[in-house]
Amino acid sequence: MSKEAVIQVDSLVKKYGDLAAVNGVSFTVNRGEVFSFVGPNGAGKTTTVEILVCLRDLTSGNAKVLGFDVSDRKGQQQIRKRVGVLPQDFNTFDLLTVKENLSYYKKMYDGGMDIDELIRLVDLEDKAKTLYKNLSGGLKKRLAIAIALVNDPEVIFLDEPTTGLDPKARRDVWDLIEGLQEQEKTIFLTTHYMDEAEVLSDRVVIISYGKIIADGTPSELILQHGGKTTLIIEEGGTEAHDILRKKFPDSKLENGDVLVPLNGKSDLPEAVMTLNGNKTKFAELIVRRPSLEDVFLNLTGKKIVDGELS
Amino acid sequence: MGGALRVWFRSKHTLFWTFAFPILLMLLFGAIFSVSDDPRFDLYVQNQDIIGGESSPFSATFVDMLNGSGVLNIKMVDPAENTAEYIDDDGVEMMLLIPDGFHQSCITQNATVVLKTVPPEVDTSAATVRGVVEQIVEVFNTVTTGENPPQVVTVQQESLVSENYRFIDFFVPGLIGMTLMTTGIFGAIGWNTRNRELGILKKLATTPLSKFEWIIGVVLFELVMCAVSTVVILTVGILVFDLRVLPNIYSIILIAAGAITFPGIGMVIARFVKETDSADAAANAVSFPMMFLSGSFFPLEMMPDFLREIAKVLPLTYLNNGLRDSMVYGNASSALYNTAILLVVGTVFIIIGSLITNWRED
Repeated sequence: MSKEAVIQVDSLVKKYGDLAAVNGVSFTVNRGEVFSFVGPNGAGKTTTVEILVCLRDLTSGNAKVLGFDVSDRKGQQQIRKRVGVLPQDFNTFDLLTVKENLSYYKKMYDGGMDIDELIRLVDLEDKAKTLYKNLSGGLKKRLAIAIALVNDPEVIFLDEPTTGLDPKARRDVWDLIEGLQEQEKTIFLTTHYMDEAEVLSDRVVIISYGKIIADGTPSELILQHGGKTTLIIEEGGTEAHDILRKKFPDSKLENGDVLVPLNGKSDLPEAVMTLNGNKTKFAELIVRRPSLEDVFLNLTGKKIVDGELS
Repeated sequence: MGGALRVWFRSKHTLFWTFAFPILLMLLFGAIFSVSDDPRFDLYVQNQDIIGGESSPFSATFVDMLNGSGVLNIKMVDPAENTAEYIDDDGVEMMLLIPDGFHQSCITQNATVVLKTVPPEVDTSAATVRGVVEQIVEVFNTVTTGENPPQVVTVQQESLVSENYRFIDFFVPGLIGMTLMTTGIFGAIGWNTRNRELGILKKLATTPLSKFEWIIGVVLFELVMCAVSTVVILTVGILVFDLRVLPNIYSIILIAAGAITFPGIGMVIARFVKETDSADAAANAVSFPMMFLSGSFFPLEMMPDFLREIAKVLPLTYLNNGLRDSMVYGNASSALYNTAILLVVGTVFIIIGSLITNWRED
């Protein structure tokens, strides 16, 4: 994949009065990447997206999308033609069908995708003649993403595309985004779900209080900030803990489970053999690898639950 | 209970209907009907009986008596004016014509004055004015001859309207005007706020669509809606009430002008109201006074002067006047004049709308 920068952001600041919603962020998005902007509500994700798609003016700094300056009027026109946007909390006309809705937005552009092909792409053929109001939450979101694709955009901005969806519908949206990824579309995704970012992204930027606190591929971030892989001996109790503590002084007992951080490749077989040699009783052995959630926890000391810090 | 009260109090919509609307109605109707304190009726008088550059003695006496009645507000018209044209151009509803030779005819006891009014079914003040003029003529006859019953002057009643129109025929043009206004204002404001709430406006702001194109689209859509409701009103009018007035080409042009003016106004208002609740309140606050003050339901002539001044700045006044003049009186020049005013107002509002409409966030 060529490393052509399609979005370049340098020292971007957006202030509302004295409050800096975005406080000096810099990053680059390359063509064909799924790029995720991850953080809790109010971190500055949507503000950044809305500056990039020319919905808001920036206070200072620079931002270019596809080489066009977002602060330049002519640049804005070019950007609008070339990007597809799913705004946060977007709903479309209740009393138009899937197909009618797509046709409506297609009229705003010159050219673009064939509507029937688009309906096939988002797997809504059966629902093409269904009114928007009669679609389920997941299907509504799929149509909304399809609407963001009507102009066959070079860059697609999806602002929290899965917020408020049930797990099944979220998976559906993930499949759709993965499909777009295969077509080598550049996707700028914002989310507060760490698992979503981890599954979908080629690259992740974690933002908190308007500042970027981490930038890299999911595996890089996990390697750097995620902590160690942990062996969990479920219901091992004090017995297992006492035995393992001798060789693994970092072991912890939590709610009857024993947690053993693994430092090297040999740690796992050694721990298992130790348990086996002592005929220790336990319910199950689980190896848990660190995730982006651990990255966020380690970087901020907090978790994100339903989009809010806790 | 406390919660319900809070919800109720914070909803601008209910606040409007509970407080503002009744007060508005009271003030409006109070002001409109307060005219009875000063029961003067406008009567245009054209004295064509000029002898040696001056009004003839008898005609001058007659005009003095009209002036002295205390009921009539006499407005003198230059004798040189063409009576019919003057009536058309100035939207005159009641005109008394003293013909040339009046003085001479008084002497021969066969004088007539011509009283041209709109039908009393349309404007009840026409009946009052007719009665007042008859009485003054009677007094004039008695004074000039001392005879009883005197037969010096007779009043020749003429209707300003050629055909035999009824109330419905005068009501329908005002109804069309009112409908164009409410359809346009409510339609444009409602469409904007609904789509803002759905996020559609934000989405459109990310597309190459310009605000001007959007506004023109909304205005054209409302134009179609207005055409449909006009056709419905006329059809029901014809089928149920045997409506006799029909729009001519001039009134159709005028209707089109009105149908783009009011959505234009609506688009400007929509810029300032973001939620559905306040949008409704704003649309009501603008359309209700306009509905009653622009002569949709009762003639402007029966309102006190200060309300007539207000009516002059309401675009609906021009639509109503133009529609009545063209549909009832067949007066093309009035229709075109009012069309021009509406087109200017509409264009100004559409331009302002596309300049100030804000899809973007701050």
